[in-house]
Amino acid sequence: MEIRFLKDRIELEKELNILDKIVLEFVSLLDKSNIKYVLVSGYVSILFGRSRTSEDIDIIAEIMDFNKFSRLWEQIYEKFECINTEDLKEAYEDYLTKNHALRFSKKDSFIPNVELKFPKAELDFWTLKERKKVLLNNTEIFISPLEVQIPFKLFLGSEKDIEDARHLFKLFKNKIDLQLLNEFNRKLKIESLFDRYLR
Amino acid sequence: MKTPNIDLEELKKLKEDNFKERLEFIDKYVEWLKKTSNKKWSSEQKRIIDL
Repeated sequence: MEIRFLKDRIELEKELNILDKIVLEFVSLLDKSNIKYVLVSGYVSILFGRSRTSEDIDIIAEIMDFNKFSRLWEQIYEKFECINTEDLKEAYEDYLTKNHALRFSKKDSFIPNVELKFPKAELDFWTLKERKKVLLNNTEIFISPLEVQIPFKLFLGSEKDIEDARHLFKLFKNKIDLQLLNEFNRKLKIESLFDRYLR
Repeated sequence: MKTPNIDLEELKKLKEDNFKERLEFIDKYVEWLKKTSNKKWSSEQKRIIDL
């Protein structure tokens, strides 16, 4: 794997799969609307080569007011549609602001889809603030810092999550800030899981 | 229809063994990823994901 792991960004060139393409397309709409976002969860492992697929791509986007969201909705609807509801007001008031995710798919398909939500827990806000830049085939995207992504996957705890965490850790253990990772292990109370599955 | 006896402890052990084997596979796969060109691994990944 040829990858440049720099202090302020990671640079990766790869043949894009359908998930990568949907990510690039969707985040370009967020960028156009000047909306800060971070890609979290399974896609981060897939971006870096994990040998599995996923039915969804999870994105945390900064909290925005209704007017800003309605402009984004218009942009999104040129290429995607919302699975939960077609009603803009309902999407904002009954989903996003109540901390439920909105699911968007490409028109005429159901999966894969993009799961968009506002930050809720303090950890979500931290992840958004400390997001890591990745240049994927020279296009900028932002992912969760690996130092929190790995412990959080262990915290979620399904076999798939543990495998994702192991994949990232084995790939990047010599590149990441282990002190920060251990701090999240401690805060999430998953030190024993870490020792059991990732050492 | 006669159904088999089920030993839940035995099945639990099989499930654990299977998971352990998958974790070992991930280690081997990551080692392969590290020494393989992006073009090669990402085209194999694309074949799985774009099915």
